[in-house]
Amino acid sequence: MVCIIGFEELDKSSLPIVGGKNASLGELLRAGIRVPPGFAITTDSYREFVAAAGIGNEINRLLDEVEPDEVPSLDRTSAAIQALILEAEMPAHIAANIEQHYQALCARCHTENLPVAVRSSATAEDLPDASFAGQQDTYLWVRGLAEVLHRAQNCWASLFTARAIGYRARLNFPPDKVLISVGVQKMVNSRTSGVMFTLNPVNGDHSKVVVESSWGFGEAVVSGAVTPDRFVVDKVVREVNERVISAKAIECVYLPGDGVVHNDVPPERQAQPSLHDNELQELVTIAKRIEAHYGCPMDIEWAIDHDLPFPENVFIVQSRPETVWSQRKQDHLLGQKSSYQLLMEKALSQIQVKR
Amino acid sequence: MSQKRFPYAWEVKVPKEMEGWEEMYPDHRLFTSDRQDWDQDQFWYTDKIHAPDPMVPLDEVFHQAWQIALSQHTTRIFCIPPAQGIAHRMLGCYLYITAIAPPPLEIIQAKAEKFGQRTFPVFGHYEELWGQWRTRQQELGRELQAVKVPKELPQFVPDFDSATTLPAIGPAQELIEAFNHAVNIIYRGWQYHFTYLNLSYLAYLMFADVARKLFPGISESAIGKMVAGADVSMFRPEEELCRLARLAHTRERVANILKADRSANAKIESLREFEDGRMWLESLSEVKDPWFMVSCGSGWFHYEGSWIDKLDVPFSYLKGYLERLDRGERIERSLSAITDARDAIIAEYRGLIKSDEDRKTFEDAYNNTRTIYRYAEDHLFWVEHWFHTIWFEKMREFGRLFVKQGVLKETDDFFMFNRLEIPSLIEDVATSWALGENIPTMKWAEKAEKRKKILAAAAQWSPPPALGVPPEVVAEPFTVMLWGVTTERVTEWLEGASGQAGSADELKGFASSAGVVEGKARVLKRLEDIVTLEQDDIMVVPNTNPAWAPIFSKIKAAVTDIGGITSHAAIVCREYGVPSVTGTGSATTAIKTGDWVKVDGDRGLVTIVKRAE
Repeated sequence: MVCIIGFEELDKSSLPIVGGKNASLGELLRAGIRVPPGFAITTDSYREFVAAAGIGNEINRLLDEVEPDEVPSLDRTSAAIQALILEAEMPAHIAANIEQHYQALCARCHTENLPVAVRSSATAEDLPDASFAGQQDTYLWVRGLAEVLHRAQNCWASLFTARAIGYRARLNFPPDKVLISVGVQKMVNSRTSGVMFTLNPVNGDHSKVVVESSWGFGEAVVSGAVTPDRFVVDKVVREVNERVISAKAIECVYLPGDGVVHNDVPPERQAQPSLHDNELQELVTIAKRIEAHYGCPMDIEWAIDHDLPFPENVFIVQSRPETVWSQRKQDHLLGQKSSYQLLMEKALSQIQVKR
Repeated sequence: MSQKRFPYAWEVKVPKEMEGWEEMYPDHRLFTSDRQDWDQDQFWYTDKIHAPDPMVPLDEVFHQAWQIALSQHTTRIFCIPPAQGIAHRMLGCYLYITAIAPPPLEIIQAKAEKFGQRTFPVFGHYEELWGQWRTRQQELGRELQAVKVPKELPQFVPDFDSATTLPAIGPAQELIEAFNHAVNIIYRGWQYHFTYLNLSYLAYLMFADVARKLFPGISESAIGKMVAGADVSMFRPEEELCRLARLAHTRERVANILKADRSANAKIESLREFEDGRMWLESLSEVKDPWFMVSCGSGWFHYEGSWIDKLDVPFSYLKGYLERLDRGERIERSLSAITDARDAIIAEYRGLIKSDEDRKTFEDAYNNTRTIYRYAEDHLFWVEHWFHTIWFEKMREFGRLFVKQGVLKETDDFFMFNRLEIPSLIEDVATSWALGENIPTMKWAEKAEKRKKILAAAAQWSPPPALGVPPEVVAEPFTVMLWGVTTERVTEWLEGASGQAGSADELKGFASSAGVVEGKARVLKRLEDIVTLEQDDIMVVPNTNPAWAPIFSKIKAAVTDIGGITSHAAIVCREYGVPSVTGTGSATTAIKTGDWVKVDGDRGLVTIVKRAE
């Protein structure tokens, strides 16, 4: 049994023990992509925690009784299971192991009580056939060991939100197959963050990278609180085919003491592009590399650090296979035609000069 | 848009200073009351691409010729089914054109059948056909060069052996025949010009459709990069110049003379004085015809001049090349690098196509387009540049004779008369000479003076960009591709016409070479201004041509008044990786030298960030 594994040790085969998000971070590192450093608390840790606490049977019993289509039933079950998990005590050797890795991470980044993001990483999450995105918790700007341990336990509990329980029940996921891992990752001090797709999600065009970006942490974009800037970039000639700069009135920032807050963006900064051209091009380069590494269209979360110089400020924080267009059967856009047929079609295309 | 219209031709008020402008052009090229019903039904717009300046009467001959040549190729030769001809009218010294509406369905069908029969074989045999085309065009140019214009009208014809020979026809008859012959040749050359031009544009449009279906939102510049030919005639003059620079660079004395700040003629004099210099001049004279017969402008106006008669222009480029060679820089475009880059782009797009059938279709469309599209750059050199250079020189031979005869004040005054008037001028002079009395009936020199004043007034006047009622949608492909007249552009014109133009600090044009840069603007209205250009300037020009190529490595970005995405400026900017916005309509008037401007070649926007003090 392995409780903790550093991201450097992971690859996609690690998914069963560290979940999709963590495995993909390891895979990205292997592809030479800049990822904030960190480690994964494995599913074994979670399993051992449940066993040591003696709450496994009770959880299964509660899940057996749930009515997947009844919201009150889902809510009751969720609250009961989450209470069981949050009230149980973490086995001492797991806590010690997390401490050891957290301190090593602090040392590596030369920062005491290094701010980290603590994220859940479910083993069924992020798979092409079960889009669980956003159903587990993420805690930003977590500082100090006690807080890290606390949030790790919150992540374990987030496996049992009402939505997640209902979703799995409807898909008939066997409960013992759904495990959770936790990622602990150095916090990027995001000046700008966002998501990008290695195809155009509007029409499935593989020749574009579509980047959405906004000020601060990505939460404002994901939650829909702001309309992000949007860039459509041609993968081959690297031209920006579309550039929509939106008024970004809100940004998620970290304020010491208050934690992560939604702030108003000063008017003069709202309509400014949240990405520089060189950062946009660097993101596209990385997106192409990630897509080539995985061999399929990808959905990628990224952040630009406030303090580091370009290009070291460009970080990838997540990536997963794109699930919508990749599963659709690719239709022909043209079909097989000779260029003579096409030329005749073009020549015959009605030429409008009459009003 | 249908609510609003541009003025009709007969509603346009031409400035008083231009009074009498109509006399400069043949009657059939004017808006006339007997054709008013037909004229009113058409949507006319100014041909800013080929006739941005007021039309000089004799330079209008090319337009007279192309109206026939272009139109008959689409209507009667290669029969592009719905496309009809393009009609012309002159208004206030500016050329207006209109694409004629498609014919009835049965004619479209009949044309479609001919189109298939006649055009498809061209693609399969283009290489051989191009060889034939070039030979034929070169022979025609040589024929024009050989047209004999008498150098003078002597008091008596030369002595001849009257015992064995009949008298020669004499200079008066030679003069009459020479001009008629030259006009026939220029019309014929314009016929040749269109041989495969519409086909090559059609193939481009076909391929652009394919690319847009496969890669929605792909830019015109990306499509241009895929089809652009590196090894085309239009780039040869620049290559020859690079070669001459290299030749001089290894001979210090030659190089030092060429790098000096002196006129081309003074440099040539110095080079004649020593062996290496003479050797270099010999190499120069070997390539002058055809490769220095390239216009300093578009090739459409006699006053632009060509390298061969404005040697200061290529010599200033040579100076620049030698300085770059001294710094150890490379001066040539690397053909193989350009070709490799293009092949890599094509391969990457091909790799993005997910269906095998689509990929096959893409490849076939691409290969056929590549085959013929080079015609667009090849013909340009051989007609607008080489052939026109010969024509202008030939016309000046007439001009010089008439100055000698006292009929004209300056050689180039000859261009102040249209090609249907010139036979009268010639006949007038020939008659006087034959009579032995110097009594030309018309006051040609005065007329030329008056016309120069009208043209100067016309240059100050802004004609309406279009006439009549615009169509809902401008979809005629050649109109869009060649003239850059799109629905959006017409709407902007209408807004401009009613005083609702957008911000004067922002200009829209074609996003023809990608990239965003800021810098100091340098407005060059004439080629002569090129000497003022500094490193990293943003060049703002009416249009450019390949004779300007040597300066593209010096500039940060290019902005032009006219030209679409396949214009020369666009092609060269893409090769040099210099952002450009073409076809802005008014950059050279809206922007002043010294303004700080931002050129967004991704979106086709030019912003004046800060006006010069």
